[in-house]
Amino acid sequence: MTNGAVPVATSQADPGGWHDGRTMTQVLILEDDDGIRTSLRMALEDAGYVVSDAARAEDALAVVADGTVDLMLVDLMLGGMDGYTFIRRARPESDAPIIVISAREDTADIVAALEAGADDYVTKPFVVQELVARLRALRRRGPRVGDSDVARDDADTLVLDSREPELVLDGGAGQVRRGGDDVLLTVTEYRLLRELASPPGRVRSRPSLLEAVWDRGFFGDERIVDVHIRRLRTKIEHDPGGPDIVVTVRGLGYRLDLW
Amino acid sequence: MSDDSAESRTRRLGLGATIMVSFALGGLLLAATMAVGTYLTARRYLIEQRERTATRQAFADAAYVRDGLLTSGAKVSDVLGAVSPPADAAVLVRRGNRWFASSLQVSEKDVPAQLLVGPTDRTVALTWQRTPDGPAVMVAVPLPAVNATFFERTSVAELDSTLTALRIVLAVFAVITSAAAAVLGRWAARRVLAPLDEVAAAAAQIAGGSLEIRLDSTEDPDLATIVASFNSMVDAVNDRIRRDAQFAADVSHELRSPLTALMTSVAVMDGRRADLPQRSQQALDLVKRDLDRFHRALQDLLELGRMETGASGLLLSTVDLSELVRHAADSMNVPPELLHVPPDGARTSVLADKTAVNSAVRNLLENAQRHAGGVASVVVRTEHGHVVISVDDAGSGVPKEDRRRVFERFVRGGSRGALPGAGLGLSLVAETVRAHGGAVWCSEAPGGRGARFTIELPSSLGGDDG
Repeated sequence: MTNGAVPVATSQADPGGWHDGRTMTQVLILEDDDGIRTSLRMALEDAGYVVSDAARAEDALAVVADGTVDLMLVDLMLGGMDGYTFIRRARPESDAPIIVISAREDTADIVAALEAGADDYVTKPFVVQELVARLRALRRRGPRVGDSDVARDDADTLVLDSREPELVLDGGAGQVRRGGDDVLLTVTEYRLLRELASPPGRVRSRPSLLEAVWDRGFFGDERIVDVHIRRLRTKIEHDPGGPDIVVTVRGLGYRLDLW
Repeated sequence: MSDDSAESRTRRLGLGATIMVSFALGGLLLAATMAVGTYLTARRYLIEQRERTATRQAFADAAYVRDGLLTSGAKVSDVLGAVSPPADAAVLVRRGNRWFASSLQVSEKDVPAQLLVGPTDRTVALTWQRTPDGPAVMVAVPLPAVNATFFERTSVAELDSTLTALRIVLAVFAVITSAAAAVLGRWAARRVLAPLDEVAAAAAQIAGGSLEIRLDSTEDPDLATIVASFNSMVDAVNDRIRRDAQFAADVSHELRSPLTALMTSVAVMDGRRADLPQRSQQALDLVKRDLDRFHRALQDLLELGRMETGASGLLLSTVDLSELVRHAADSMNVPPELLHVPPDGARTSVLADKTAVNSAVRNLLENAQRHAGGVASVVVRTEHGHVVISVDDAGSGVPKEDRRRVFERFVRGGSRGALPGAGLGLSLVAETVRAHGGAVWCSEAPGGRGARFTIELPSSLGGDDG
């Protein structure tokens, strides 16, 4: 089985400049279909990514453990450990955005994958340009990337909740802290929170969040927003069942309330 | 038109009418037979009775005349004068060659030849005859003792009127019986056809797409068979449809992975097309074009499969159709000046699956662009609690007889095979709209020669806001 545990630096010229200058963006492909995995690897290498791939979830977890993966493409239907399990196991190890490549459009499958920790999904058959656009959208302005724009935008810290223990959004560090502890948000959760916080108190519609965070246009799946809001709440709310920081505005969208 | 009239001329009676007419005819036949039988029996009985009475009367009167004549020296005319026949009777006596009558109403000319029995004959003769006053019975009684023959004519006009009255009564009875039979037939037909009406209603509902409809089971042994057959037929049809849909879904699903690999590989090749010789580039373009068609057809098939699983496959949210149409038209490069969409704030929201409705709208636009000379106009408006999208094209229109058919699968307009596209698009539009409880139809574009495709979806605001 192909085990891309050793990242292969691509020899291709970097056409899009999709790296941060120090390390190139590394994408992990977990896909058991040889044709898709190989062709995808070629396409992404040509798009300037460093690609590692795996046909089995167990092998992919080993790659994730290296801590060098920036983005993951995960097929759900695999022999052995399935994609959902992989996502749940990989999440504590990595906050890298995960895009699910699904052959199924069933509502339940996609929501389950998002609940497990995926950031976005594409359904087969997809156009590779679309997939690259998804990757770019999720990779853009990630907190670990020392992007100067991000640093400037988010230099301020914002107190989300002054009730003890204090919840603080530290734009400079790209982190959220409760008391002195880091709240472990994924890249996407962090960006969603930051989007809601600019400025706080303003109602954001699902499509506008979808556009801002996922770079999806009018036709994006709004459930992605809902699932991420749910995940964000479990991490920052005192009572995720009765949220008072990220509140739902019926029929309109979501609003961040400061305390 | 001529076909219609020809058809109606040769059209047979309906089952209900047939049953009713059969009952009426049966009733009439029965009533007529009964009436005629009754009449004939009654008539014979009445006539016999009348003849007996007349004969008895004639005997009595004849005996009186004989006794009178036996008295020596008695004159016939005197004896006759003493006879007192009933009011409607007249008496004649022939003695030798002389005739004597009791009244002027009767003479020897009234005696028919067969009654001219001789005085010595032993038989009594009887005959019927017509008189100006109606029918009459004439009885001849030979009186050998006095060498004479006695004739008595009794008018039976009252028998005639009795029989006439009887005829009328029986005729009326026959008519009433037939009418009653017709009414009974109508009722029976209704009763017999009532279960068929139920079957027809159920069949219509099933044809309309409600495949879960079944007939209620019945205790009636005559109906149980048809109900059971009908239900199992619907089950079979349902099963068949489900299997077909499942097959299509499975096949399309199986194609997802190879198509993904194919598309990705071709994208890699396309990214390096500069490395390829010119001829390979040409071949690559062909592959790309057909792969694109393949991709679109598969997406339509997958979308159709999703529609066929029913509402459970729909991801409903409030969608502003004005915005959706604007986005779809923009992505399909439809010039914005052809768009007639209400300004922002107009209430054109529907509860719908955004992706599915988007595919439907895109399919309409694509249909116009690829098969009908381009989009001529796109209109979004609200009407009677519905949001209506109509797409006019610049093609040659759709003939009336094809306007329903275009929504069937793999139907293409124009000459067969002349146009690209598998013809799934419009059937996908129809399935999508149906799954959303809306309607879709094709008509003539106003003022033009093109076609107009209209989608109507129930407004999420409900009520009449048009």
